[in-house]
Amino acid sequence: MTPVPRIHPQTKRELVEQVRRANTDGRRVLVVGGGQHLDKGNPSDVDDELWTTQLDALVAYEPAEMIAVVEAGMRVGTLRSLLADGGQEWPADAPDAATVGGLVASSASSPRRLKFGPLRDTVLEAEVVTGDGRFVRSGARTVKNVTGYDVHKLLSGSLGTLGVIAQVALKVRPLPQRRRTLRFGGDLTMATALALLDAVPAAAGIIATPDGVELRLEGWTAEVDEQSRAARDVAEPVDEADDAPFPMSSLWDDAPVVAEVAVTPSRLGDVVEGDRWSALVGVGIAWVGLDHADAPLDTLRRRVREAGGIAPVIRGPGGLGDDRIPAPDVQRRLKAAFDPNGVLAPGRGWGGV
Amino acid sequence: MADVEAARRALEEALGQSEVLSDPLALRLYARDASLVEGGCALVAFPRRLPGVVACVRIAGEHGLPIVPRGSGTGLAGGSTPIGDALVVVTSKMTDLIEVRPADRLAWVEPGLANLDLANALRPYGFTYAPDPSSQQTSSIGGNVSTNAGGPHCLAYGVTSNHVLALDVVLPDGTLERLGTEAPEAAGYDLRAVMVGSEGTLGVVAAVCVRLTPLPPAIRTMLLDFETVAECAATVSAIIASGVVPAAVEMMDNGIVVAAERFAHAGYPTDAAAILIVEVDGTEAAVEEQATAVESAASANGVRTIRVAADEAERALIWKGRKSAFGAVAQIAPHYHLHDCVVPRSKLVDVLAGVYDIAERHDLIVTNVFHAGDGNLHPLLSFDRTVPGTLERVLAASEEIVRLCVDAGGALSGEHGIGLEKRDFMPLVFTAEDLSAQACVRSAFDPDTRMNPLKVLPDGARCGDFAMARGNDAARAAAELPEGAWL
Repeated sequence: MTPVPRIHPQTKRELVEQVRRANTDGRRVLVVGGGQHLDKGNPSDVDDELWTTQLDALVAYEPAEMIAVVEAGMRVGTLRSLLADGGQEWPADAPDAATVGGLVASSASSPRRLKFGPLRDTVLEAEVVTGDGRFVRSGARTVKNVTGYDVHKLLSGSLGTLGVIAQVALKVRPLPQRRRTLRFGGDLTMATALALLDAVPAAAGIIATPDGVELRLEGWTAEVDEQSRAARDVAEPVDEADDAPFPMSSLWDDAPVVAEVAVTPSRLGDVVEGDRWSALVGVGIAWVGLDHADAPLDTLRRRVREAGGIAPVIRGPGGLGDDRIPAPDVQRRLKAAFDPNGVLAPGRGWGGV
Repeated sequence: MADVEAARRALEEALGQSEVLSDPLALRLYARDASLVEGGCALVAFPRRLPGVVACVRIAGEHGLPIVPRGSGTGLAGGSTPIGDALVVVTSKMTDLIEVRPADRLAWVEPGLANLDLANALRPYGFTYAPDPSSQQTSSIGGNVSTNAGGPHCLAYGVTSNHVLALDVVLPDGTLERLGTEAPEAAGYDLRAVMVGSEGTLGVVAAVCVRLTPLPPAIRTMLLDFETVAECAATVSAIIASGVVPAAVEMMDNGIVVAAERFAHAGYPTDAAAILIVEVDGTEAAVEEQATAVESAASANGVRTIRVAADEAERALIWKGRKSAFGAVAQIAPHYHLHDCVVPRSKLVDVLAGVYDIAERHDLIVTNVFHAGDGNLHPLLSFDRTVPGTLERVLAASEEIVRLCVDAGGALSGEHGIGLEKRDFMPLVFTAEDLSAQACVRSAFDPDTRMNPLKVLPDGARCGDFAMARGNDAARAAAELPEGAWL
């Protein structure tokens, strides 16, 4: 197989030109950021890859405004150190090589989602090149805003099928004074995790695995001490560390296929199975490692569907699954309006959109 | 052509005779919301259950009536002001709390349930619903969804869209769809996200799945008063710069403090140039840390006194003054016009000075009460519209205030919406291409333009039409506005 040609626009203007050229030349393109989440999506044949990684400028950052404006190709590692200089963070928790735009487009979940919410809620404004080459800005560089339709919110989780994210304004937050992880062992890990969810106020994250529970606490030192005491009333941790990565380890790290389950939080225990999973308790996200994408994935997806959730694959083959999409006519009309010539990764999105 | 009589008969059959109004008084009552804009409608319907909402949308479609959804009618931008032959679908009889599921941290509610009633109902479970607009005693969850409502506590907790997991929506073609899910991620494009804040232009919300927020273990409410507005505003920036994000930071200037005090008797210092209400919450330790940081930021910026609410009763009293401020200004003059721009926090002092200057030049009384932490201004122009020439001065001043905010890098509306009042300002902040993309969103939901016509988007914004039409097209669209619809 010959490698797919790569296009690296250097400026937003070039990005617009490249998308318009794809339309006139009838070439289908896959938008690529850091390449960390490319497996998430249904199979799609493309002629070119459009890389956003050269669009990586810091546009504006005033720590007192708690908003950072960056081009979409900026690496998360770069953003992390820029924001740390201002005493702040964007709570994305992705590998350094991932791009901001890639994380938004793939709707990746942070392990600290319990406290900080979904990443989509942090995108206040965006500049987007639609599939037909329109340069569109929506939202505003303010925390609150209800000024027209938030076009950019549709790009969140759209897997590069409606437009190319060129720039985003992100709501950022102060770095905590103290970060602590408490690890709990034992067999009844889901039960322990739920007890911690009830007992510990404002935990940053609770991850259950077949081996145990990791509880993440972030805040002022006195606050984290207070939370730690509340946690110890539930169970005695086997390990405790300040400034450790969260999670300390993932059992599905070396699995060839990883599915990202999303169900209502109380159904997590019903859908995870096997010995390679971790679940965001109180959130409803679980990552499940599988050996291959055939029978085990089908079984997992059947359980998840019964629980009213979805289980797209984020590593390896398997695509998004054949789940029903809501308001399919509206979804198709959106795709047709923003990408009328179908140049953006045809078939890659949910429901084959 | 709209067949109002046939629509009325069909609606009466579907909903019951008492749930459909068409007498002149009712039509007049529902011809406006809490904005200054007045329109007109043909029929008013009150569905009681979800199938009734479906029936309303289908019947309106069959008989050619535009649909205008309405909650409690507290909207301040004319979003639910009907135009022409519209059917107004009022959700105020759909007020059930359908179910509360603490284990999933969610609740399903009918759209007519009042915001405060929901928050109070969740309290025994140890949860609350975080967005708390000042209208929360009256405004409905469905209305909150349509304007992506905010409130004082959005500073730390986020706006309505961050708290809505899913919506059961009757689309303009009469089909019922669930947008979003109870699960944290959903298949397909995030239609829920654009439905929130769409001001009733994409469908009728028939049920809302809200996210529950755990009640904080501790809360501290502080009232800080200052001798100058500049010191008060500088304190806001200093608090945020110190790395603290309080649950709420509200600012009131002297005019509004005096009016609110007369109404609420909250013990506000009426000789202060401006006051701040700062609330911090979290664990006991977190509250202590944040309160200390707030106090030192205030001291460094010339605070005169800091009053800490000693108990829940005192806290409620301090908030009562703030939340009843818009009512209290009725003492100043019978009418008010309220703006809702958002500016970067660092521009607050300059923009405020500009607002005072504009009011003075137009010989108007302006008072300010706003969400300072978010940079969300609410300059309030008080006037008597029966005095000839006053309304014109108010509108001229309003436009200058909007331009001032936009020039400072701000947004047209933080939480009230665009509706009819601000749609013609949209080109101030968006290009023709931006607006064409927004029109694409609208037409994807509503290709036959059945929903809430003439709202949000300015004349000439068309999907697929890169250049916004001007001249003839704008004149033609303006002609569609019936007499008296614009103020």
